[in-house]
Amino acid sequence: MVNEKELQDVVEKTIKRDDVKYIVGYEKGTYGFQVTPSFAYKPEDAKKFIFSPLCVHNLTVFPMLEEKPPLRKGEEPDSRKVGVVVKGCDSRAVIQIIQEKGLDRDKVVIIGIPCTGVVDPKKIEAKFPGIIKNADIKDDGDNFVITIDGKSHKVAKDELMPDKCKTCEYPSPILYDILIGKEIKSTKKEDYKNVKNFEKKSMKEKWEYWEKQFDKCIRCYACRNACPLCYCKECLVDQLNPQWVRRSVDVSENTAWNFLRAFHLAGRCIGCGQCERVCPMDLPLMELNKKLEKDVKELFEYIPGINAEEKPLLAMFKPDDPEEFIL
Amino acid sequence: MKEKFEPNIIGFLCNWCSYAGADLAGTSRIQYPPNLKVIRVMCSGRVNPIFVINALQQGADGVLIGGCHPGDCHYERGNYLARRRMAVLKKLLDYTGIDPNRVRMTWVSAAEGHKFAEVVKEVTEDIRKLGPMQHFKRENKW
Repeated sequence: MVNEKELQDVVEKTIKRDDVKYIVGYEKGTYGFQVTPSFAYKPEDAKKFIFSPLCVHNLTVFPMLEEKPPLRKGEEPDSRKVGVVVKGCDSRAVIQIIQEKGLDRDKVVIIGIPCTGVVDPKKIEAKFPGIIKNADIKDDGDNFVITIDGKSHKVAKDELMPDKCKTCEYPSPILYDILIGKEIKSTKKEDYKNVKNFEKKSMKEKWEYWEKQFDKCIRCYACRNACPLCYCKECLVDQLNPQWVRRSVDVSENTAWNFLRAFHLAGRCIGCGQCERVCPMDLPLMELNKKLEKDVKELFEYIPGINAEEKPLLAMFKPDDPEEFIL
Repeated sequence: MKEKFEPNIIGFLCNWCSYAGADLAGTSRIQYPPNLKVIRVMCSGRVNPIFVINALQQGADGVLIGGCHPGDCHYERGNYLARRRMAVLKKLLDYTGIDPNRVRMTWVSAAEGHKFAEVVKEVTEDIRKLGPMQHFKRENKW
C-alpha cells in the first residue's frame, strides 16, 4: 500500500520546482466512493492528494486535453512541465504517447505509483447500493477492507476488481521520474481466455452478440474522451467534409464508429479500461481492445506501451509480415 | 420471379500496378465478372479502413484491395503498410461476426492481366456464396 504522506511530500517538492506548471493527481470526492482528479498549482494543494484503490482514472488524458490558446504578440510559450501521477497501466499510456511523439519526454514529470489493483466503481456500487456519505477503502493483501459509515467489510479482491486488473502484467510503472514505494513484480499472466472462448463461436452468434451491443450505443463519445490515446485534434467522426460516419444513432453508424475506435487503437491500446469504465451503456469495449491486442501480439510480436524508442505498429512493417490472406 | 443474387464488389486498385493490370485484362479482351466496381487510388497504402467500412455500409457486399507486389510499390512501402492494416481489420471483422472473406487483398502487377481476371472471378464466386451483406447496411431514411 502506498504511503500517502510520501506522495504528498513528493508532489509538494515537485510543484516547488520552477519548471513545473502543475501536477495531476487524485483527491477525495464529495461523497461515497468517489475519487476525482485533482490539480496542484501551489505547494499547499499537495495536501489533498490521496491514493487508494478507488483511484481508477487514467490521468494521462489531462496533459493531452490541455488547451493551448494562440499566443498574444510578444508572448512566450509556456514551456514548463506537467506532472502526472501514474499507476502501472497509466505509465504505459505515457510511453505510448511519447512513442507517437504526442508528448515530449522532457515535458512531463512522471510520479509513479506501484498499484496492487483498483476497484471497479460499477461493481462496488452494485454491491453496496444506496447513498453512502462516508466510505473508505484500504488494500489488505488479497482483500479490500471497506469502511462505510464506521462499519467495515472485508471483500475478496477478485470480486471487486475490474477484469483488466485480474490479468495485469505491469503493476509497477515502467517509465517514471519519481517512484513512490517499492516496485512490485506481477504474478499474473494475460491469457486472453475470454477472447479465445468468444472466437470459438459461430459467425452468426458473434454478430448477434455485437449487434445487440452496438445497438445500445448512444454515441456520446465518452469512450473517446476518456481514452488517453484518442487525442486527435479533429476526430474522424466529428469531421463533416468528408463525413464518413453520420450522426444518426443506428446500428449501421454505431457499428462503423465502434469498428473505427477499435481499429484506431490497434497496437496502441494499453488496456487501462477507461473506455469501458466511462461507458454509460455498459458496452464491453475492452473485449474488442483485448482481441486486437492479442492479434497484434500473435501477428507482429508487438506489445504497445513498453518501449518508447520503438516505432508505432502501423507506421512500420517487416518484409515477412503474415500475408496468407492475400490472393 | 426471384432474381439471382449478383454481388456488388468495390475494388480499390493502385494506380501503378493493379489498375494497369485491370487495364491490361481489358485490352487483352479477357472475360471476367462485371461485379467489380473499380475505384482508382494512388497506392494501396492510401486505403484507409474507413473506406472499407464505409463501402460495406453503403451496400457493397465485398471489397477488393489491389496493390503492387511486395517490393514493387511505387512509393516503396505503401503496400507493406496496407498489408498490416488489412491483417488487423480482417481480425476485427472476424471477431464481430462479419466474414473476413468479404474484404480481400491481392497483389497484381501491371503485366498480370490474366491473374487479375482470375482474382476477380474467385472473389466474385466467394462473395456470391456468402450472400448479400446485411449486417450494418446504412438505411437512408430522413
